[in-house]
Amino acid sequence: MARITCAALTKKYGDVVAVDALDLEIAHGEFMVLLGPSGCGKTTTLNMIAGLEEISAGRLSFDDAEVTWTPPHRREVAMVFQSYALYPNKTVRENIASPLPLRRQPAAAIDSAVAAAAAQLEITHLLDRRPNELSGGQRQRVALGRAIVRNPAVFLMDGPLSNLDATLRLSMRGLIKRLHQDLKSTFVYVTHDQAEAMTLADRIAVMRGGLIQQLDTPEGIYERPANLFVAGFLGSPPINLIEGVMAGGAFSRGGWRLALPNPPADGRSVTLGLRPEDVMVAAPGLARLDARVELVSPLGSETHLDVVAEGGLKLTLRVPKEWRAAVGDQIGFGIDPARLHLFDRASELRL
Amino acid sequence: MNRPLAPRVTRALLLTVFSALFVLYVAGPVAWLVSSSLQTEAQITEVPPNWLPPTPSIANFEAIFAASERVVTYENRRQGEALTSNFLPSGAANLLPAMRNSLVVGAWVAALNLLLSVTAAYAIAVIDFRGRRATLYVALATRVVPDIALVVPLFLVIRNLGLINSLGALVVTYLAITVPFTIFILISYFEGIPRDLYRAARIDGCGHGRALWHVYLPLSLPALVASLTFAFLTSWNEFVFALVLTQNVAAQTLPIIISGFIMDFTTSFSFVNAAGVIAIIPPVLMAVVFQRYIVSGLTAGAVKG
Amino acid sequence: MRLGYDERSAALLVAPVLGVLLVVAAFPIVYSFWVSLHDIVLTRPLRRPFVGFDNYLRIFDDARFWTAVSRTTVYTLVCVVATTLLAVLVALLLNEVFPGQRLLSALLLVPWATPSVVNGLMWKWIYDPTYGLLNGLLVQVGLLERYRVWLSDPDITLLLIANAAIWKQMPLAALLMIVTMKAIPEDLYRAARVDGANVWQRFVHVTLPALRPGLMLVLVYETMISIRHFDLFLIMTQGGPGDASLTLSWLIYVETFRSLRFGTGAAMSYILAITTFALSWAVIRFLGKRI
Repeated sequence: MARITCAALTKKYGDVVAVDALDLEIAHGEFMVLLGPSGCGKTTTLNMIAGLEEISAGRLSFDDAEVTWTPPHRREVAMVFQSYALYPNKTVRENIASPLPLRRQPAAAIDSAVAAAAAQLEITHLLDRRPNELSGGQRQRVALGRAIVRNPAVFLMDGPLSNLDATLRLSMRGLIKRLHQDLKSTFVYVTHDQAEAMTLADRIAVMRGGLIQQLDTPEGIYERPANLFVAGFLGSPPINLIEGVMAGGAFSRGGWRLALPNPPADGRSVTLGLRPEDVMVAAPGLARLDARVELVSPLGSETHLDVVAEGGLKLTLRVPKEWRAAVGDQIGFGIDPARLHLFDRASELRL
Repeated sequence: MNRPLAPRVTRALLLTVFSALFVLYVAGPVAWLVSSSLQTEAQITEVPPNWLPPTPSIANFEAIFAASERVVTYENRRQGEALTSNFLPSGAANLLPAMRNSLVVGAWVAALNLLLSVTAAYAIAVIDFRGRRATLYVALATRVVPDIALVVPLFLVIRNLGLINSLGALVVTYLAITVPFTIFILISYFEGIPRDLYRAARIDGCGHGRALWHVYLPLSLPALVASLTFAFLTSWNEFVFALVLTQNVAAQTLPIIISGFIMDFTTSFSFVNAAGVIAIIPPVLMAVVFQRYIVSGLTAGAVKG
Repeated sequence: MRLGYDERSAALLVAPVLGVLLVVAAFPIVYSFWVSLHDIVLTRPLRRPFVGFDNYLRIFDDARFWTAVSRTTVYTLVCVVATTLLAVLVALLLNEVFPGQRLLSALLLVPWATPSVVNGLMWKWIYDPTYGLLNGLLVQVGLLERYRVWLSDPDITLLLIANAAIWKQMPLAALLMIVTMKAIPEDLYRAARVDGANVWQRFVHVTLPALRPGLMLVLVYETMISIRHFDLFLIMTQGGPGDASLTLSWLIYVETFRSLRFGTGAAMSYILAITTFALSWAVIRFLGKRI
């Protein structure tokens, strides 16, 4: 059992505030992803939960016990690192077993625990090797083994897949997800990779500047980004942002007008967010906007088009692979106003 | 691809010439010392000098070691046949006890230096605590003061404590010399160990003691060997403090006895040279055996500047 | 703020070192200042009047002191410059890969490990006017007509002592330079080659700039070490002939342990310590910016 409660958790380095009064409650068995660019405070938050960084202010509790001042070796947490952090002078077996002798377990129990963990991660044949004889994916499996062998209530993962190549990252992602389903422990996972966050998380906390920008399910974050930063951070290719003003209940930019379902007051400066996939491409003249194709990037499964619409508006669109286009083609596309995101330009908040 | 021959020949030629000059400069003086120690007094006082011993003999060494078994006086100090006119230094009997003192002090300094430096360096390199920089600066600042400036007050302190002529006073004094530098070396080394290993160890249940023992020490072997060697050599070679802090043979170390030989104008050159060779063997052997560790250990902090 | 586990551990781990340094370094340094303000002469142990900065003023009026300052300056400059140049040359040689390079690297440690007392006696023996190697060698190859005195020649005695010092301290400096050289990225040389730079140009434009941090370290370290040399002077010349090798360290020793004037000895020590400190600081500040 472990419910993690961060209450006004703060970390300062001198005058620099790395994490600013963070409030976050992570439920037992939840998979929480802390997502954000580097320097946003996500790793610092994780380190404070682990006990590796002293907490400058605020409170941290596991279930109902306060652990703010508990040093890491007395907290029941396991952690997996981006750099794997395997002890280079120990074999795989010794690495996986390393947390156990310190917890005074009998030798037989250690052996069977290591064997079970190795079997679960399919690294039994590697047990007598040393870390420098392993590939990156194998090393990360060993690191996972060292974490699960303790059967901890809390798993902390600090960008565990960032050092792996793309294919391996995909399969390890599946492995971690299955692990979570099997172990039913609380996972806190730090990453700057939105795909990892979307696929793994029960809930995502998007962070910037030591503050949580939005805390929601992956769908919620993608469908209803709370502000311009969250909207821009998730989505690939990134969301198109179009600046304009409200006039007569419609979004207006130059000569182009777009009626909106629930328009804010006239005269307000706003930014319109349009996901590249939320367009319907058609022949020119048939839709709301005409544009000229500048760049075609076929990905196989789909195609990305960089286009310039009327008034010099640059957009990126995502179209089905069947849609053949060439540079210089004129195309038209339609927009479903219901799928648009509208932000106040000054506050950057969702309207 | 066929590289032209000329540059390769030039390079080989340059390397040979400079290697020869290097060997001559670095090893020449020591070779001459060794050569002299293997000659009789008559042979080394020939003009021009004998580059190599005409009849190599370890008689000088034997005489020095034998000297410890009897009291050398002005009457019996004249050794062997009159022809060679070898004079044993009057302090010859003290050489072996001094060597023992040097070994004892060196061993203690090496061990205690490592113990003190490893713990302090770990704290400064790894733990984030108030005053870590101040601690390092204080340690390094003590080494800015020249030894000769420390000698006077230290002599007064140790004399007032009644510890003149004690090996313990020497050990503690030498620690003050070796510890700051060793801490500096070890900090550079410890900082090179990935921080994530430390974090993993703490998560795995290690307190600071265990993290140091299980993670940092096994991964710092070169620096540890370098520290041991450095401390032993410093202690073995140290002169000024030993000169001032010890005044009788019971506590005097090898350099003091040898400097006594040099000052004794009646002493034969051959014995002085032999004594020098004796003093040079342990440190040089140690340095050459642990060469790899010393080089990587001593220079760990240099690259970062 | 409360003391967490980290700070309590750190205090425990650092305390022994601070204890030793306090007793054997910090306290003597402070005590030495107290001594320097008193007229302490060991032959009159019960009279130790407070004299303020009189000891310092007396030193500045002492001609021997200024002689020692100039000798120390010359000696230190020679040591630092020659050691550094030689170290760079040796590093350039040992940074190459060639058969025997490992053996030469091992040899490099021999002077470093040699006790300074033996170093002194060895060179004194080499310089010996009658039986020494130097005279024998120079006369045999015809560079010198007849045997001459070396250490007893006041014009060169400082240089000869410096030579012995350089022999011993060059290896560590060379090691530092080698490590600095090894850290230069190979790409820089490849880029220079592509740009058509020859060996000399590569040395000037790639190697030399990259050596700066190492050079800095060597310059500061050698200055600090050379300015305080003492062992060689005791073994080789005892400050002589006349006052030809009277350096500050030697003067402090004579003043303290031969004349037994501890007060002035301590005051001189303080002047030397502060000078060393200021010099290191200046080198770090000014060269640090420029280099």
